[in-house]
Amino acid sequence: MSGTSATIEKRLDHLQHHFIDSDQQFESAKLGMWIFLATEILFFGGLFAAYIVYRSWYPELYIQASTELNTFWGAINTGVLIGSSLTVAMAIRSAQLNQIKGLIYNLYITIALAFVFMVIKYFEYAHKFHLGIYPGEYYTFEGIAHEKANIFFSIYYMMTGVHGLHVLIGIGLMIWLVYKAKKGAFHSGYYTPVEITGLYWHLVDIIWIFLFPLLYLID
Amino acid sequence: MATTEETPTRKVQVKRFKPEEYPEKHYLNQEKGLWAWLTTVDHKKIGLMYLMSVAFFFLVGGVLALLLRTELLTPARNFMTADVYNQVFTLHGAIMIFFFLIPSVPAALGNFILPLQLGAKDVAFPRLNLASFYIYVIGALFTLTAIFTGGIDTGWTFYTPYSSTTGGSVAMMTLGIFILGFSSILTGLNFIVTIHKLRSPGITWNKLPLNLWGLYATSLIQILATPVLAITLLLLTMERVLGIGIFDPALGGDPVLYQHFFWFYSHPAVYIMIVPGFGIVSEIISTFSKKVIFGYWAIALSSLAIAFIGFLVWGHHMFTAGQSSLAAMVFSFLTFLVGIPTGIKIFNWLATMYKGSIDLKTPMIYMLIFLFLFTIGGFTGIMLGALSVDVHLHDTYYVVAHFHYVMMGGMVMAFLGGLHYWWPKMFGKMYNEFWAKISAGIIFIGFNMTFLPQFIMGSQGMPRRYYNYIDQFQAFHQFSTIGAYVMGVGFVIIAAYLLHSLLRGEKASSNPWGSRALEWQTSSPPDLHNFKHTPVIINGPYDYHKPMSEFQLGIATSHNGHGHHEEEGMDVAETEKEKA
Amino acid sequence: MSAHEHHISSAKFLWGVGIALFILTVLTVAVTWVQIPEPWNVVVAIAIAVVKATVVAAFFMNLFWDSKFNTMILIMSALFFMLLIGITLLDTLYRIDPVPSF
Repeated sequence: MSGTSATIEKRLDHLQHHFIDSDQQFESAKLGMWIFLATEILFFGGLFAAYIVYRSWYPELYIQASTELNTFWGAINTGVLIGSSLTVAMAIRSAQLNQIKGLIYNLYITIALAFVFMVIKYFEYAHKFHLGIYPGEYYTFEGIAHEKANIFFSIYYMMTGVHGLHVLIGIGLMIWLVYKAKKGAFHSGYYTPVEITGLYWHLVDIIWIFLFPLLYLID
Repeated sequence: MATTEETPTRKVQVKRFKPEEYPEKHYLNQEKGLWAWLTTVDHKKIGLMYLMSVAFFFLVGGVLALLLRTELLTPARNFMTADVYNQVFTLHGAIMIFFFLIPSVPAALGNFILPLQLGAKDVAFPRLNLASFYIYVIGALFTLTAIFTGGIDTGWTFYTPYSSTTGGSVAMMTLGIFILGFSSILTGLNFIVTIHKLRSPGITWNKLPLNLWGLYATSLIQILATPVLAITLLLLTMERVLGIGIFDPALGGDPVLYQHFFWFYSHPAVYIMIVPGFGIVSEIISTFSKKVIFGYWAIALSSLAIAFIGFLVWGHHMFTAGQSSLAAMVFSFLTFLVGIPTGIKIFNWLATMYKGSIDLKTPMIYMLIFLFLFTIGGFTGIMLGALSVDVHLHDTYYVVAHFHYVMMGGMVMAFLGGLHYWWPKMFGKMYNEFWAKISAGIIFIGFNMTFLPQFIMGSQGMPRRYYNYIDQFQAFHQFSTIGAYVMGVGFVIIAAYLLHSLLRGEKASSNPWGSRALEWQTSSPPDLHNFKHTPVIINGPYDYHKPMSEFQLGIATSHNGHGHHEEEGMDVAETEKEKA
Repeated sequence: MSAHEHHISSAKFLWGVGIALFILTVLTVAVTWVQIPEPWNVVVAIAIAVVKATVVAAFFMNLFWDSKFNTMILIMSALFFMLLIGITLLDTLYRIDPVPSF
């Protein structure tokens, strides 16, 4: 690995003293992030459990209530998130190849797609509020002939709300990554924050991959 | 990295040295000032900060317990109204469980010892470790705010529909515990990565100290269970704030569903509390029997088995809640299963002691107390797991006695044992052995006085969390209260001589107990970075059949300079013999 | 210890994975226009979702080329999630039977 000693030093200045080498540090960070993702899976898992229990008790409610959800925009959002997963994978690839401009460019697109997702969500929520479909006891919509209708929507709001919060957090993280990348913090020998943020983002995508059919596509 | 194992015919000279006794510079004085402590990333100091915090909360929880027991001296009101009584037992439970028991061994003792036992310089993510501590503090502040702005009286279990509809600061309290859960998760995450990635050369999985197997199993539980508590508390808070209705029968919801979610975490949580204690027991019993641990793999794998089976039994808290008979039967059967790996451990510890050279120092005394009290607690747990028996004993003092025997008689005794065992390593000071043994005896007597009558009361029908009671139970309650005060005296004595030890204690050598484990082969207190060079381990941590000299670290100089620089030394735990 | 090679996917490969995911999404929606009897419609929907999630995990999150332990973590968390649901359902689905009907 040739280069001036200044380059070599810069390439190693991320190495923390308790790690033997850069590789051990990188693999440890990835392992740590995977463990964190496991906690996210169990966190959302509780919500999916509530969904499943109530669906098993009130299947006709779910079928009826799901018609209030706009399948078209839900599908668009699914495509948007998948696209953002693609671009974040491309961002990591750019970092691996030391193409910092490509890294920043791909991060920008990912952030933009995430914003599109949130905007579509905003319009979906606004439309529902307009109809009186609020969570919990504030529900006033008359259009569904089922006395437990508010429970479906409460679960809907909890699941998409917590998911949306995770999207917002992801946007924040990626803005920070762009900032660091512009300052030259990343190169092909060190792009760990990009890698682990990417892992987080892919999980957010995976959660939506399950949310979409379970909420929007009930027959 | 060149290791002696890879080139078996290479002879390595090892110049052994004893660790520096009574070092002038160590981790406590190498970083100076309050700011250095508050911003430290040194796992040892973080462990000490946790230790001070859990000790503080144990004091608060203990005082609350004494208040409860004093009120229960007579059936009539003594000095508390019923509402205040409900708040006091809620707080006693929540503080003891979330602020003392769950962090005590992993965060306080574990943080200190884990890297030392691995030969590592720190945990994998030191800054995350510090963040875990501050998250714990912030969670505690939210909880204290809840106490002072309305209080809660739901019991530490926050059952709906009461918790979703009552006044008081339930949301603030659940928020505090939600935050605290992150501290627990991040500590577990840190430990798992450290154990996987930062083991010194030679520490294969079969040489891992059982203390670390215990912390590993605990961390797995923390990772998988705590998030479910987080979502449960979030749903409860939303139930209160938005009136969602999934737990409220008035809105068509199901309160038993809350209990399923709550206990999915809270049952594994009790294993988070006890499994680290099991790890400590293995260390202390082996050291003070001067004997290799009996059944290493049985003990190691049983920790993992307990972690796994512990996730399958949560419904045994709900036998009378209205769940289906099918579920109740399945849970009862699985509950019996979870006792098996625990029983295996107890037998293995006894077998370790058999024909060992028993040294009855204070840590060992606590281990004997542990074995006795935890076995009683464990047995009564199995009894409660029997479905038909539980119908009578659920929500009585029998349950209260059971969990105090396992949590206090088990976990707290193990914690005290670990504290006394590693005290010389942490502070470089010894404590007064005479008073230590006296207080252990006082606590043992006080504990049994407090909780043995509660088994009898419970089986005769005295309900738990009740503010008053019928006359037939008064004698039991009074005896129990006296026992609680006796225990209190014991703890006060412990605090006194430990404080004295810090100020004026006799200096400790690096290995006062003659242990073979790695943390004892470095100075007491250790250097800021634990080990000056990476240790290479050849012997196991329980190899008492090998002489002490084989465990001293040394600097190795090899004849070919492959893989390391001239000035870089390599500690090895044993001389490499020339292989054919 | 020298750094071992981290697998770098080609841009073409990543785009290919992305397009596969888009196609699977179209399939997810299309399948709802086919009348499948309960409960198999849910099974089909979840199955497609699992395929998509696996593709993301294996090829975007690089599990295919990563340490097997990371894959274990994913699988174990899914397993525990299924335990949560499965055993809870043992209660909620069988409430009305006073005694199990076997």
